[in-house]
Amino acid sequence: MTASSLNFRKLQDSNRRKTFGLLAGMGALVWLVVFAAMTYLGKSTTLIVPVAVGFALISVWGSYYFSDSLVMTMTGAKIIEREDHPDLFNLIEEVCIASGLKLPKVAIVNDPAPNAFATGRNPDHAVIAFTTRILEIMDRDELQGVIAHEMSHVANRDTLVSAVAATTAGAIAILSDMMTRMMIFGGMSDRDDRDNNQNPFAIVISLLVLILAPIAALLLKSAISRKRESLADATAVAFTRNPAGLRRALEALAADTTVVRQRSNAVAHIWIESPLDGKSVSKLFSTHPPLEERIAILRNMESNPL
Amino acid sequence: MKIAMLVLPLLLILIIWVVYSYNSLIRLNISADEAFAQIEVQLKRRADLIPNLVETVKGYATHEKSTLDAVISARAKATSATGITDVAAADGQLTTALRGLLAVAESYPDLKASANFLSLQEELSTTENKVAFARQFYNDTVRSLNQAVKTFPSSLFVGMAKVSARAFYEVENPADRNVPNVKF
Repeated sequence: MTASSLNFRKLQDSNRRKTFGLLAGMGALVWLVVFAAMTYLGKSTTLIVPVAVGFALISVWGSYYFSDSLVMTMTGAKIIEREDHPDLFNLIEEVCIASGLKLPKVAIVNDPAPNAFATGRNPDHAVIAFTTRILEIMDRDELQGVIAHEMSHVANRDTLVSAVAATTAGAIAILSDMMTRMMIFGGMSDRDDRDNNQNPFAIVISLLVLILAPIAALLLKSAISRKRESLADATAVAFTRNPAGLRRALEALAADTTVVRQRSNAVAHIWIESPLDGKSVSKLFSTHPPLEERIAILRNMESNPL
Repeated sequence: MKIAMLVLPLLLILIIWVVYSYNSLIRLNISADEAFAQIEVQLKRRADLIPNLVETVKGYATHEKSTLDAVISARAKATSATGITDVAAADGQLTTALRGLLAVAESYPDLKASANFLSLQEELSTTENKVAFARQFYNDTVRSLNQAVKTFPSSLFVGMAKVSARAFYEVENPADRNVPNVKF
């Protein structure tokens, strides 16, 4: 994509396409792992696939379905009503009118770092939360940009997307873990039905796939999360038609070095600015694109209205 | 028998496709109605704020009778307008008149500092934004509706669904549509 062609519609399309591609990549990875397992340990091992997927489903879908209450507990967010913060509700109502979404529940996190997040399994159960600090430091336009970004996560159903990604990555991790254990402790009965004329080259490749798959799944999961963040930035501009507001908000977040006091890293990916920034090994494992990159894209949109 | 096996699934697919296309046209049409209703709700909100604003400004800016009269008459026109073109035209006039009034307010420091005016100011800026976003949402919906009405194959069902392309909501100054952030 050339810089001159950047507008929010194209950015939305491109990020949606890339998410789809990445999710397809996840699917292909599952298939590859199953194939490698069959090559290495014999056909009967395919029985453990539903077990692994089942475990992953159970562990992820509970937290997806109850994401609103769960995340609120983990972040210490408290639901507020219109009377508590009428100006904030004015802004949220504006973004709801712009997006055609229902008014979400609104929560406040008592925290000295400026940040915000959205959660909930669907638009009817959406919660958007703000730290006390972000409400202090941001002006009307900046806060409107942040709200639009969070409402974009609601509109794009990102809780669902990340649940799907987490389930697949989880299933792959469980699968390859079980496989490696079976290899180490001898495949028991599986040894019998392994083809005798197996190509040793194929076996080595399968082993490599089983070992590397969880890392690849983690990389894909992070890449999906980054694409959803970029998509939310583009959708936010579609709602407000004011890239400058969100851009200035991100600049304010970049300028502030305080980090949200988290009770758990499990919810790090939902904030508008990742609390783990700079902690991650490489850009490939981070859940958010770098703030500078997001700011540059928004700045570009300012010079390309519509 | 063999022909039936081949024709039946094809027929089923055809029916599903017709139902889907028909329903999406109807859905878009309903969304456009809802979006227009939202504009009217927000315009009503704004109209309700104006008497209070006019009273507040009157108390401080006694020499601005013409500006105040412009707002009052624009409000009267806006509340009585029906039909999309009239509503849009009256909406545009009122927006301009309100901007004039707020520009006038700039030269009265006592007015600007009054508590009543300050709370009105936040109410007005959020209402202006809501009106602007409601227009934008309506126009986006009309854009999708018109696209469906005019492009093949969804255009095939336009007669059956009794929907038609709609006019955009254009205020007097078309540039206003995409500038929802009014600074007072």
